[in-house]
Amino acid sequence: MMVRVDPTDDQLASPLGRVSPLLKLAIAGAWFVGLFLTTEILPALALAGIAVGASLVLGYVPAGTLGRGLAPLWIAALAVGLFNGLFSPLNSDPALHELAIIGPFRLTEPGVIAGVGLASRVLAIAAIGVLFAQTTDATRLVDSLVQQGRVPERFGYGALAAYQAVPRFAEDLSTLRQARRIRGLRSSWHPRLLVGLLVLAIRHADRLALAMDARGFGTGPRSRYRPMHWGLIDLGAGAGAAVVLAIVVVLPRVT
Amino acid sequence: MTDPMAIVARDLQFTYAGRLRPAFRDVSFVVEPGECLLVVGPSGSGKSTLALALAGLVPYDIPGEFSGDLELDGSGVTATSPRSGASRVGIVFQDPGSQLVMDRVEDDVAFGLESLGWTLEAMRERVPQILEASGLGGHGRRRPTRLSGGEQQRLALAGVLAPRPGLLVLDEPTSNLDPVAAAGVFERLERIRAERSHTVVLVEHRVERAWPLADRVLALGRDGSPIDVGAPTEVLARSGTAMAAAGIWLPARVPGGSSRPATAEPLDRGPDSPGDEPGAPIVRAHGLRFGYERSRTAEPAIRGIDLEFRAGDRVALVGSNGSGKSTLARLLVGLLRPDRGWVRLGNQDPSRLPAARLSRVAGYVFQEPERQFLATRVDQEIALGLTLGEKSSAIQLMDRLGLPLETFADRSPYQLSGGEQRRLSLACALVRDPAFLVLDEPTFGQDRLGYESLLEILHDRVGDGACVLAATHDERLVEDFAGRRIALEDGWVITDERVGVPSSTDRLPDQPDSAALVGPS
Repeated sequence: MMVRVDPTDDQLASPLGRVSPLLKLAIAGAWFVGLFLTTEILPALALAGIAVGASLVLGYVPAGTLGRGLAPLWIAALAVGLFNGLFSPLNSDPALHELAIIGPFRLTEPGVIAGVGLASRVLAIAAIGVLFAQTTDATRLVDSLVQQGRVPERFGYGALAAYQAVPRFAEDLSTLRQARRIRGLRSSWHPRLLVGLLVLAIRHADRLALAMDARGFGTGPRSRYRPMHWGLIDLGAGAGAAVVLAIVVVLPRVT
Repeated sequence: MTDPMAIVARDLQFTYAGRLRPAFRDVSFVVEPGECLLVVGPSGSGKSTLALALAGLVPYDIPGEFSGDLELDGSGVTATSPRSGASRVGIVFQDPGSQLVMDRVEDDVAFGLESLGWTLEAMRERVPQILEASGLGGHGRRRPTRLSGGEQQRLALAGVLAPRPGLLVLDEPTSNLDPVAAAGVFERLERIRAERSHTVVLVEHRVERAWPLADRVLALGRDGSPIDVGAPTEVLARSGTAMAAAGIWLPARVPGGSSRPATAEPLDRGPDSPGDEPGAPIVRAHGLRFGYERSRTAEPAIRGIDLEFRAGDRVALVGSNGSGKSTLARLLVGLLRPDRGWVRLGNQDPSRLPAARLSRVAGYVFQEPERQFLATRVDQEIALGLTLGEKSSAIQLMDRLGLPLETFADRSPYQLSGGEQRRLSLACALVRDPAFLVLDEPTFGQDRLGYESLLEILHDRVGDGACVLAATHDERLVEDFAGRRIALEDGWVITDERVGVPSSTDRLPDQPDSAALVGPS
């Protein structure tokens, strides 16, 4: 079952909810780059902690919602860390300091550190992603991309409409599989299903494009029902994010 | 504000690129400002294409050859770009799900206004106003995907009406809706008609509600040329017979209008008529429970159902949208597996039968034909998974359903009209002669010939000892077909009763002409 992220009105009215989605994307991007430039564990954990804290305090995201959003991603992070810790090629280097031997596995200190480092970065990426998703409305994201990011309108609004159709595609897929089964064809995964899905997706897109054209889309300059302006809150968010990034990622390297 | 506009159409004709036969031709009519033109015709007669042409989308967005003169308020549409017409003409389509763009109700209403460059102040005034008028006041912050089908369609209508178009075109706006939702849309249309605020062109099969709205009626024939055009009473008097013969639904109060005989005398009772010997059990279900979401707190769609169906049963499964009809129907043919309880089809659990075996004992026609097509040509679609013997009976079946393979073999299933698509999906299920046939809303968007041939085929199947179950909102189908009526509410069976059965031999005494058209009975 597809789960759509549905931020509540409270979350969208929070300080982070009011920050320009385009700016939030840029911040998330900058933080991701920062994470890739460091192999240290602490900066990654610090970013994860800050993202969680900001979601709760500045994004008004209820702890339960945040937990449900993060749990699967964090379990994945731990699995990634564990796998890399156990199977790191560093573990077979006899010169490295041995921490423990568990059954067939020999754990070395650098191997374990590499595993934990990877896990902590995945933790941080998950936390930043959930922060973004839980404080950003799809419509506002597109408005921001089009108005502030100069993304072409046809692409922006088309993508929004496609996003709306995601649950529909899941339904299409299950119906097509059932239709195969009742006609005596194996209902398990078959390449033909993809063709069917593609046809349905294209037809849906065609109809939608027709409906959009019929409503005058692309006839001339658009006015804005939700004008987006850069504000003080964006300045604050940008500055705050830059300071966090500097302290967490850059400072340890300089010192 | 655009005033309601006049339409003058002269010899309109349109042929889709790559087709020889025009979708519609020789169409001429005049509509005065504020009037409502009802367009009726059998499926495949070009009604939807004509709607697109009036909205200025044909031939600009859809390739093909257009000829004739179309004037809206005296200015030719064909001469100018259709896009400039968007402020003057609005169109609402069948499927509400594929006309909603934005992620919030009020944003979606504003979408058209933004395209036309309305100022922010004007939009902030207009959006709540039109939502209120459409019965969606206070829903502005909701997500369109969370609305019911009827609410979605009223939202689509609100979005189209927001820029105050002089002409409103509606292409079967209620054909995907249940009766309650459809009534909501019609109430809105009745208010628009009463206010005379827009000129309206309405393409619609639901004649009971649509005829009273019409100031003029345009009836198209099967080949896309007009049968008649004029005031409703005149058209009925002049061409009622011809329209009935073409398979057009007519209002019941008109002689020859209803498809049901006024005095039904049961002659040859069906095998499941009260008092007859019951047939052998075909399907049994016990303690059925099913939920789409796995979490413990989620509401199940089906909550504990025991049922038995026998050979010769004609069952109508009724209930509002979301009552669990489609879910129950899919459980019974093994397309879904119950969380608790069991289904036996014959002596087996249908959800565990190999597909090849299942397809020989059960047939299922899905609600939306398009979503079940598996091939790119009509002949491949019908022949999918068939034996040689079955293939030859498929040819006869397609003839009987008005989709002769000589004409339709190389067409794409997706390019058929709505009614034709539904008949093709029906043929795909019927061709294997399953003992248990389940149909989900088989009459949606069907013209009268389609409906009558469906009814006849279903009666035949029951006569051959099959059990037929139709999940339906169509009270006419329940009355014409069902011997047993099962009502669902909220996942429970609330009534399961025998109902009066007209049998297959006492149909249509007042309409020998249309009976002859649907083939030998």
